[in-house]
Amino acid sequence: MLPAPAAIASAGAPGADAAPANRPGLDASLTRSAARDAAQPLDAFTEWRTAADGTRLGRSRLKLSGMHCAACAGLIEAMLQAQPGVRWAQVNAATQALTLDWAPGAITLDELRHSLAGAGYDFAPDLAGPARDLRRREHRQALWRWFAAGFLMMQVMMLAWPSYVAAPGEIPPDQAALLRWGQWVLTLPVMLLSAGPFFRAALLQLRTRRLGMDVPVALGLAVAFVAGSGATLDPGGPFGHEVYFDSITMFVSFLLGARYLELRARHRAAEALEQAADVLPGKVERLRPGGMTEWVETGQLAPGDLVRVAAGQRIPADARVEGGRGAVDESLLTGESRPVSKAPGDEVLAGSLNLAGVLTLRVVRTGESTRLAGIGQLMAQAFQDRPATLRMADRVAGWFLAAVLMLAAAAALVWQLLDPSKAVAVAVSVLIVTCPCALSLAAPAAWVAAAGSLARRGLLLARLEAIEALSQVDRIVVDKTGTLTDPAPRMSRQWPLTLDAGATAAAKALAGASRHPLSRALMTALERLAAPMAEAWTSIEELSGRGLRGVDAEGREWRLGSPRWASGETASRLDAIGDAQIVLSCEGVVRAAWTFDEALREGAAAALGAWRAMGMEIDLLSGDAPARVAAIAECAGGLRWRAAASPEAKLDHVAALQARGHRVLMIGDGINDAPVLARAQVSIAMGQGADLAKARADALLLSDRLDAITAALRLARRTRRVVRQNLAWSALYNAVCVPMALAGWLPPWAAGLGMAMSSLLVVGNAARLGRETAPDGDR
Amino acid sequence: MDILYLLIPLSVVLVLVLLAVFGWAVNDGQLESLDREGQRILEDDVQA
Repeated sequence: MLPAPAAIASAGAPGADAAPANRPGLDASLTRSAARDAAQPLDAFTEWRTAADGTRLGRSRLKLSGMHCAACAGLIEAMLQAQPGVRWAQVNAATQALTLDWAPGAITLDELRHSLAGAGYDFAPDLAGPARDLRRREHRQALWRWFAAGFLMMQVMMLAWPSYVAAPGEIPPDQAALLRWGQWVLTLPVMLLSAGPFFRAALLQLRTRRLGMDVPVALGLAVAFVAGSGATLDPGGPFGHEVYFDSITMFVSFLLGARYLELRARHRAAEALEQAADVLPGKVERLRPGGMTEWVETGQLAPGDLVRVAAGQRIPADARVEGGRGAVDESLLTGESRPVSKAPGDEVLAGSLNLAGVLTLRVVRTGESTRLAGIGQLMAQAFQDRPATLRMADRVAGWFLAAVLMLAAAAALVWQLLDPSKAVAVAVSVLIVTCPCALSLAAPAAWVAAAGSLARRGLLLARLEAIEALSQVDRIVVDKTGTLTDPAPRMSRQWPLTLDAGATAAAKALAGASRHPLSRALMTALERLAAPMAEAWTSIEELSGRGLRGVDAEGREWRLGSPRWASGETASRLDAIGDAQIVLSCEGVVRAAWTFDEALREGAAAALGAWRAMGMEIDLLSGDAPARVAAIAECAGGLRWRAAASPEAKLDHVAALQARGHRVLMIGDGINDAPVLARAQVSIAMGQGADLAKARADALLLSDRLDAITAALRLARRTRRVVRQNLAWSALYNAVCVPMALAGWLPPWAAGLGMAMSSLLVVGNAARLGRETAPDGDR
Repeated sequence: MDILYLLIPLSVVLVLVLLAVFGWAVNDGQLESLDREGQRILEDDVQA
């Protein structure tokens, strides 16, 4: 996240670039168009206002980097406040957010950035700020409403207590009236403030003619409050002398408590999303024709632009490398934790981090069309999408609610005839107790919790319902290349069998200087061999298409690369090394040779074993040659396999399995397998190579760890159990409580308690899914 | 028991005042970063 010092220096020095934006009143007329271009992004994270003394102040939301401890917060605040033009600075250590009040006439943000750079800190615009602010306001409001309801509930209960314990006539009527008035005054804020959202939502639902669960809640509250107010005003009047203020406040506070927890869960999911999407650099160095460079906002980049990205900076857009070499960390996008080397012609992805070297990039895709944005949209869509089963549940709930309203009205009528004093209480109880909150939360709460937990493991669900389908899978079909096997080559044979120390050191020194996939594979293979430190190597150079050349301390020339080139084209010992892909030679004498092959992914064998242990049958389908498929199937512990399968053959295979009643999970690479993925009940695409939009899979495995799928299968089964528990519980609850409420045995406060408790139980039960499966040990 | 006519309204008013104070604290963002105040004691008084 932290741009290299060089970037800061060049960003700070041409302060003129950003100055028109930061001093809108001064230079705006000079470079009007430039100011407009640059001022727009500044407005995206800055609010403008005029201070009491007439100066224009900006309040900018920024994101800090370089903070390593909580004490940094105070230091940064002090350093910023010492600058002229800074009125106020506040750092939130937990979120690394900086809020800065500054006068644009006195200082620019780039100058401030410069002042922090010496201490190793940096900041960037916080463009997710508005969404975060919205969440913060939402959270504050929810907390405030809940607290008000809970706090007043206790006070109302204290005032209501005497009437529960006193014998009839024991309290003088005037004191009883005083207590009732006290309760009424304390209930008023609960109705106006805390219960406001219920009334608003109920009104909206009535206006759009779709019965939601807010309607009976609001109706119950309104009936109880009106009846209570009537009784308070005129104890001898038509409403009787019974007040329900304690029930109202209690019900509202329980319900708000349940909603507060729900809100927290939703916000956590949104924050996780944001962290994935909010990684693009604020400004990038754009190269103009003629060798000039300028710093522009990331949002202003267009396809075709040339940008320069130094080590330590994030790649601003999906792009192709035009010049320079580097290694990038794509872990955010793929879960791949090792650096990936990039050379001219390679694609780099927005949001990945350049670890070494300076890259010159030709922008290919920007903004919403980048892969990073694609992942973000996919996650957002999965969470927003209302699965078909839920839509059906909504329609059923509509009828259910209509029935509840009729039932409550009928109960009120019947009780009006039997015992008019209890009619209101019974109607309110029925309305409250049947609120189908628990029923409507039963499945989605569990699915969302499970999806969040899977996303943390690198398995992204495109449809929430995939969890339900995943729990019923009994057959797994896997593709070979890129799915079961590692796309990166692995060393399979070495000649000679044991390397001497000199050759090991030379191979490590040369291969370490290159980012070629085979060099990296060789480094991985040699990792465990001890070698003397490669000292005093001179003039190591990489020759494209051939290999590496270097001179050691004794002046001998070593070559590491293609057999023909490295062995000096003498072909003297080429026979001995057979089909080797890399050869190491010293002064033209071949010292070592290596062959590489595709290999099982790390953990693939273990994952397959775990799937079998869960009772799955596994088929390996591949378009590859039989010998290679058989070898991999053998490695993987003897899979049933089928080689040379065309996409149509794969499709037929899956269809045949389905015809026999199997529920198939297809795991493929998402490109060649798209039709098969679409055909299977559930499909998981390996996300590394796939075009997200085209991969018609239900889930994407962003990491290359197959054990995430094992976890997903287990979690899906647990989710299914939890959903069933939730549904059973809410059905049982309604079956017991509705008759009790109708019979008048359930006072309104108990109805409220029961309803809120059942919702909390359902949400809490679902939350177990998110918690228990936090990846064990690997985070 | 005439004192009840003073005490009950008084307690009601007090509750509403407390509520307003809490509302001010929440809406002022004082409950957002609870760790920050605890850590302040470890900092140098640079800004004093």
